[in-house]
Parts: sequence; structure tokens; C-alpha cells
Amino acid sequence: MTTRAAGEPSLPTMEPNIQVHQLHKRYGRTVAVDGLTFTVRPGQVTGFVGPNGAGKSTTMRVILGLDRPDTGTATIGGRPYRSLRTPLREVGTLLDAAAVHPGRRARDHLLWMAHSNGLPRSRVDTVLEMVGLTDVARRRAGGFSLGMRQRLGIAGALLGDPPVLMFDEPVNGLDPEGIRWIRNLLRSLAGQGRAIFVSSHLMSELEDTADHLIVVGRGRLIADTSVRDMLAAASGGRVVLRTKDRAAAMTRLANAGATVAATGPDELVIGGLPADRVVNLLSQAGVPFSEVAGHRASLEQAYMDLTRDSVEFSGAVKESR
Amino acid sequence: MYALHMEWTKLRTVATTGWWLLGLVACTVGLAAFVSSTVDAVNCAPRCDFDLPRLSLSGVYIGQIAAVALGALAVTTEYDTAMVRTTLAAYPRRGAVLAAKLAVVTVVVLGCAALGVLGSLAVARGILPGNGFTRANGYPPLSLGDRATLRAYLGTVLYLGLIAILSAGVGATLRNTAATVSMVLGMLYVLPIVIPFLPTGAWRDALYRYSPMSAGLTVQATRGLNALPIGPWPGLGVLAGYAGAAVLAGALLFRLRDA
Repeated sequence: MTTRAAGEPSLPTMEPNIQVHQLHKRYGRTVAVDGLTFTVRPGQVTGFVGPNGAGKSTTMRVILGLDRPDTGTATIGGRPYRSLRTPLREVGTLLDAAAVHPGRRARDHLLWMAHSNGLPRSRVDTVLEMVGLTDVARRRAGGFSLGMRQRLGIAGALLGDPPVLMFDEPVNGLDPEGIRWIRNLLRSLAGQGRAIFVSSHLMSELEDTADHLIVVGRGRLIADTSVRDMLAAASGGRVVLRTKDRAAAMTRLANAGATVAATGPDELVIGGLPADRVVNLLSQAGVPFSEVAGHRASLEQAYMDLTRDSVEFSGAVKESR
Repeated sequence: MYALHMEWTKLRTVATTGWWLLGLVACTVGLAAFVSSTVDAVNCAPRCDFDLPRLSLSGVYIGQIAAVALGALAVTTEYDTAMVRTTLAAYPRRGAVLAAKLAVVTVVVLGCAALGVLGSLAVARGILPGNGFTRANGYPPLSLGDRATLRAYLGTVLYLGLIAILSAGVGATLRNTAATVSMVLGMLYVLPIVIPFLPTGAWRDALYRYSPMSAGLTVQATRGLNALPIGPWPGLGVLAGYAGAAVLAGALLFRLRDA
């Protein structure tokens, strides 16, 4: 008998992820990516943030095998992109919404993509429906607004129903309705267990969407952290207090060793004391207060602090060639 | 096979493809009709040694522009819109992508070239007898049964296919529609315009032999072959050499360069 023995290990199932390891890439004398290492994991939205010129688009092109790294590796589920036979089934990408032939109908654009990976024609209609372009599917892409092109690009990314998705600045040029739509889409895709990788040069665009952040500046990794940790670090354990008797509260808390700053006529930000100690002290002293809350730093501020030193001031270095 | 299916879908879903193909057939046949109607078998002195098959195929001088455009556009439109990145993300094996592009555009051009050439034969056969090109005057009707005539017609179809391949190869090298079309049209037309003004001799013959259009269209000649600087098939071979070199350069750069 030649049946397989029980307990024989089955083929290893590779986690659907993106792994970038020690990536270096320069164009002429410009260093675009300088030793990046990070992993994009399934089941969450990973934001890829950094100022313009930080190397985000370059990194994404290298992940897709479009540009060759000088050294280092980028893999999808452990395999280099160029070795994937039907990559649209493994990774969906939106790099540049303008990268469609203006004379081709939206549906035909998706059709050639489907044919390139042996995907059934029915998938084209499915993704058109998902992004809400069914009614304009027979119109030429040249007449599309930027928002419609973004939707078409996202439809292309979803075509192969891939476990990994990568979007370069997907909300660029979208109206508020479109931005909300993309946010909800990204959240729901991550909720289905997919690995979602989204770049932006604006932290505010990712604030409500991302679970995890890869922050880069000048091609280097600045932070690889969860959104929650980043906010906590930025808040520094400070407490916000509302009180009608600002002077009394300031005196009492300063005497207890806190650093106190007035941020409004009836608002104080207190550092160096936990919230419950603040409440106890003020209650004992009979100082009236109406609200005590953890100070919520904006992600934007935390990001600005992190990237202050790595912003490209000159116009000489462009993000996308 | 996925690559071929992809490229075929791309080619057939842009309207410009159809217009250029129509242009190829229409220009080839139209010019054949025009030239056929301007020659006269009787009042032709001092030059009456007409090479009728070649005359009837004069349409390629214009029709080939469509082949240049089709070959170039198959590659360069992808760069005009950065769509090449979408293509390579969908199908990362670059050699196969370029081969598929060449295959679909060449087959389509060959098909339309055959239509255009057969159309030229038909209009020439219809018009020429009215201008005195009759059996009685020593001009039997054009026929593919004649070996030299068949070679001229078949060779012209192959010529147009090679022009498309040449153009696609240059396109993969230059990655820009305007630059590619200018470059290929320059390669084709500059020497044939200059050559007639040069004094006859070794230099002039050498330029003829190395001009892709002059040498390539020698395949149309059915008379006075001994007076030509290069034979019909070797002439087409010169064009094939140019096309092959362009494709080789384009393929190499396509594989090596960042997209």
C-alpha cells in the first residue's frame, strides 16, 4: 500500500503577508529606500506613512517586482512577487489610478486583467458591483473622474479575491463620501482576515482606519508600532481636567508634584500624576471640577514629532518617478 | 496562454486598433488603385518597362505607416499611461509579456496586410487593362500563378509584418509613442528619399542594401532583378535583421529596466 502515513506533515500553509527585509534602493545618487525591514500581517490594516519622498511608492514597486532592489528582499507569503504564477489571486494592488488606457471601457480594462490570470469573466461583474461602477462599466475610462478611476483601480485589486491587498494613496483626490467608502472597505477587508497595506503621506487619513503603522522618513524605518501604542506614547500619560477654579487646582496639583499647564479658561493638562490621584487631591481640597480624562494626543501630532527630522524640504527628490 | 489572452484582449478593446487596421487596408488598396489608373501602356515613352506587380503594390509606401503605428502602440501606450505597471503586476514574466504583444500585433497586421495586398491585386486587375495593359500589348493579367508575382505579393505581406515587429521592438527600447514613431519612420523614409539623388556607384548601392525600406521592398521586384543592389529575399532579410535587432534590444531592456 502506498497511502500516506498518518501524521505526515502536510504542506506548510504560508501566512498571507508581506515581508520586507533590509531593502535598499537608489536611483542614481538619490537613496530612495535605505534598509527597510517590516512585516504586514493578515487581519489588520497596516498604514504606511511618511512624508513625500520617504520611499513609500518605491517600496511598493519593489514588493511588486516592478523595480529591482539593490540589496534586500521583499516577499509575498514567503515568495518573491516575480515567481507568482497568478499574482492577482495572491496580491491585489492599486498603485496609480491614472494608469488606465483612456480609450478602453472600464469593463474591458478589468477583462484583460482577468484574462491575464485566468479569472472567470463573472469576477469582472462582481468587482464592478462591489465598487459601484456597474452603471458606467461600458464607458471609456478616459472620461472617468479621479474618484471613479480610484474605484476602478480598487476593482482591479479585488479581481482575484486576494488575501493580501496593497493600496498606494487610495484616498488621494477623493470626496468625503469616497474617503468614507474606502475606509469602510479597508476595515471590512481586514475583518475578513486579509492583510491590508495602505500608504499615505497624511496621518489623518489613516487615523481611524489603521491598526498598525509603519512610519518611514528618507527611506528609513522610523516606527513600527500599533496605533494604540503610538497614541499612548504621544499622550505621555497626561490628564485633562476641567475646573471652574483653575488657580486653586493649579496650586494644589503643583504642590503635589505635578506639572500643570493651562490650555483654556477652565482647562488644565496635568503630567506626572495619574487620574485617580488628581481626583483624590482635588476632592480633599474641595476644588470643584467637572471632568477628568486621559489626554488624547492626535496621531497627527505624534507623527509630526516622529518625522520632523526626515521631511524632504527640497523639491529635488520626488516620491514617484 | 494567459499572456496571449491578456494581450489579445487589450488590443481588441481599444478603438484605435480598428482604425489603424482599416487605414492599413484602405491606404494599401487606395494607392494601388490610384497608381494603376495613372500608368499608360501606350503613351509611356521613354520608360515603358513596367514592373506591374510592384506598381500594384505601391500602396505599402503609405500603408506601412499603419503597421508602424500598430507595432509601436502595442508597446508604448502602456508607458504613456504607466499601465505597464498594472500589466507587470498582473503578469510578472516580462519575456512572455513582450512575446505575447509581438505575437498578437504581428498576426493582426499580417492578416490585414493580406487583405490589403489581395485588394490591391483585385483593383489592379480591374483598372490596368483599361490603360492598355492587355495581353495583346504583351501584358498578361496579374496572377498569383506567376512565381515572381506570388513572391512579390507574399513578400509584401511579410514586409508589413516585419515593419510592425521592428516598430514594437523600437517601442520597447524607447518607451514613448512619439519618439518611436518618429524614429521608425525616419529609419524607413530618410534613405529612400536621399538615395535617388546620389550618384550611381558602390556607395549608393551600399546605402540601398542597408536601408530597411529600400532593401525590404526589393521583394516586390519582378523585373530587372540583376540591376538591383540586392536580391528580393535577401532584401527582406535585411529588414528582418533590423526587426530582430530592435526586438532583441527591446526585450533585453524590458527585462533589465525598472518598470
